[in-house]
Amino acid sequence: MKVRRFLLRRLIFIVPLLLGIVFFTFMLVRIGGQDPVEMLAGPTATQAHIDLIERELGLDQPLLSQFLIYIGNVFTGNLGDSWISSQPVLDDILRRAPITLELLFWGVGLGALIGIPVGLRVAGRPDSWFDQCARVVSLFGFSIPTYWLGLVMLFVFFYLLGWAPPGIGRIGLVVIPPETITGSYLIDSLLTGDWEAAHSAFSHLVLPVTCIAIISAAPIIKHTRAIALEVYRGDAVRFARASGLPRRIVRRIVMRNSTVPVMTFVGTEITGLVGTTSLIEFVFAWGGLGQYGLNAIISGDFAAVQGYVLFLALFSVIVFLIIDLTVVIIEPRSSEAT
Amino acid sequence: MVGVLSRTTGVLGAAALLGTGLAVALPAVTASAEETLLVAATAVPEGFDGDALRPGTQNVVPQVYENLVRYGRIEGEDGRTYLDPSAIEGHLAESWEVSEDGTRWVFTLREGILSPYGNELTADDVEWSWNKSFDQQRTGNFIARVSNVESVEALSDYEVAFNLSAPSSIFLPALTLYVPGIYDSTEVRSHATDEDPWALEWLETNTAGFGAYHLDTLRPDEMAVFVANPNYFRDQPFFDRIVYREVPSAASRATLLLTGDVDWIDRPAVQQVVEFQGDDRVKIEDSPGRAMVAAWMNPNFEPFGDVRVRQALNYAIDREEIIDSVTRGTGDVAMSVVPPIVDGYDPSFFAYDYDPDRARELLTEAGYPDGFETELLYSDLWWWLEPFTIQVSSQLSEVGVTATPTRITGSDMRSRSAPAVRDMPFFVFESGPIILDPVYTLYLLAHSEGVSNRSDYSNPDFDALIDEARETLDRDARLALTTDAQRIWMEDAPWLVAAYPRTFEAMAPDIVGWVPYPDVHERWYDLRRVED
Repeated sequence: MKVRRFLLRRLIFIVPLLLGIVFFTFMLVRIGGQDPVEMLAGPTATQAHIDLIERELGLDQPLLSQFLIYIGNVFTGNLGDSWISSQPVLDDILRRAPITLELLFWGVGLGALIGIPVGLRVAGRPDSWFDQCARVVSLFGFSIPTYWLGLVMLFVFFYLLGWAPPGIGRIGLVVIPPETITGSYLIDSLLTGDWEAAHSAFSHLVLPVTCIAIISAAPIIKHTRAIALEVYRGDAVRFARASGLPRRIVRRIVMRNSTVPVMTFVGTEITGLVGTTSLIEFVFAWGGLGQYGLNAIISGDFAAVQGYVLFLALFSVIVFLIIDLTVVIIEPRSSEAT
Repeated sequence: MVGVLSRTTGVLGAAALLGTGLAVALPAVTASAEETLLVAATAVPEGFDGDALRPGTQNVVPQVYENLVRYGRIEGEDGRTYLDPSAIEGHLAESWEVSEDGTRWVFTLREGILSPYGNELTADDVEWSWNKSFDQQRTGNFIARVSNVESVEALSDYEVAFNLSAPSSIFLPALTLYVPGIYDSTEVRSHATDEDPWALEWLETNTAGFGAYHLDTLRPDEMAVFVANPNYFRDQPFFDRIVYREVPSAASRATLLLTGDVDWIDRPAVQQVVEFQGDDRVKIEDSPGRAMVAAWMNPNFEPFGDVRVRQALNYAIDREEIIDSVTRGTGDVAMSVVPPIVDGYDPSFFAYDYDPDRARELLTEAGYPDGFETELLYSDLWWWLEPFTIQVSSQLSEVGVTATPTRITGSDMRSRSAPAVRDMPFFVFESGPIILDPVYTLYLLAHSEGVSNRSDYSNPDFDALIDEARETLDRDARLALTTDAQRIWMEDAPWLVAAYPRTFEAMAPDIVGWVPYPDVHERWYDLRRVED
């Protein structure tokens, strides 16, 4: 009942939010962005030819009518067609989304797997040498430009050491990909028992996932540390220590009290890292949604850019919703999640 | 995630995972009985129809769709094979005849040319393909108009006639272009529908030509795999398979070439080329370019209406310096609006050696003893535009001309240079012909009706020469006219001519056979791998 009320309140806000985002993106690409008409028309285009293309793309209409037509279509599930690929944008996005999500999931998962324990531990021993180390490493992770990190990893582990495969996509060039079940080469090949493909997919995942893990671990360490420190200084811990409870129990208390804010933070991280993931996809020729979005922006493929942004917004909304919902469910005290 | 176990093993476990992953990551290299060429490019083409250009389409269409005629080949002084711009020979067509008045060309097709689908090339295919281009009203249609082609009709199985509105010297060279392509219309038509009579949708993800290669698999954003056409009418190519892989990052492409993981990369940037020089893991081939680095002056805007001003600016430029700094020493001084690789190129009218004194003299004569102020517009459309603009601006300031570099968007630049607009007095742009023909070049770039004449240059004497040349089929007579036209153009100096940057291809050291083409795309058919 609490859950239902919460969901209802949330859902009421989602639609105007998404509408606003779509409107903003829509206007932005048309006013400020690339002009795809010249590119589609080619070098020998005459004015008549250019006008023809503009009409075909619906660009000769006033901006507001273009927007209304677009929104109307969106509500029926039609995100328009990509002018570059001529495929429906929705199909393009749905096909590539699992590819990016896989990267994001493994990357942030690994980052959290490293970051949360480290953050918790250094909170327990603030200013120890381990803490200092962790802080330096974390700073490093914060400051690294993504594109640079990807290239350097490729350079060191592929070019110099030859340990990693070339950054040429999700699977080796001569390996046949598994049939599509989830969209993840690794999972699908494991599900179908195709060990060669699984091995290739795994080895191609290592570098890009590591890059994302490094970048996501830094803020996770920092925030987990800060959150846990708060709890350590809080009443629950003071009471536990005063009662003489062993350190093990204290740590458990800290962990349980940190869960909610840490989880919320990791959720923020996931949504915030989509941009980073796009750059990693670009460097490793990953072929996912991020690369698609980047290409769309560069080429002025309006429908694709709008669809991409809409999808990202929806993704963020859903992630936050899930996290907040989980908090509402598991957190016995709060009547409203933060 | 409980207690001590989680913290340390969490970290250690992750490290172990990473280590294992790297340690067992083997490069997936398996020997294959067939020869495969691995190409790393910016993007997988999103369409295979020359009339519906998408990024990347131009790279692959010439491999699949071949033409009625082709350029002959000659050996250059450097021992390499070049196209001979003065010789056109039959390819899909065996021979041709042109009527007395030059308005009707009849081509006889070679017999027994089969597509990968097993259909034979007939005159119907040619007629269908040209009608498709006419209908699409795009590049193919433009080429047809420029060549005066009004209609195409199949006369028999192997004879096809082109009806021209007037004789055209551009027509035959234009037939070497990738568009209008010649399709296996039997196959393509089987995929047409009422709403899509030309099967354009099918053509976005399939090919059906008579060329050496054929699209086998397409995985968008990943790769396109082409296989040799088993029915190809000439000898089978060396490479049975071409894997055209999308690798968006230029740095990644370069790395892959250095490690030998790919055989060919698409369009290396000049900086990469310079770095690759001397590295024996990479072979760099170059050829004279066909697009000029230049600044265009619109005579409708003062002070560029005065020919003395335009000539003065040409004297004020140190071209060697520009070649060094902008193209890293890889360009050739531009001495004609017709590029050096085009038939009929004549550099003899170039008179603008670096001479700032002469520049000041001319400016004074024209009424600008203290120079003048203007804006030099540029955009991000090509890599060299900005460095070139800065160089020119700095060099011009030494003769008193203040040309302030002003950046506008690429789309602005294109729309402002459209025929109905053309309101930029002084700007930098790139343009070069894709047909190795001087008449085509001069018409496009400098005729008052030329589509690419973005600075609105107009000289009736020049126009008259080109109009006549367009209809003059005799090569000597035609070249006499184009030579005269080049003289007029150079005297009028509508552009601040600088250099023709060379174009480069970067490939694995064991790849040979590359022949430069005017559309700057290699032909996979030419390539071979040599064993050391």
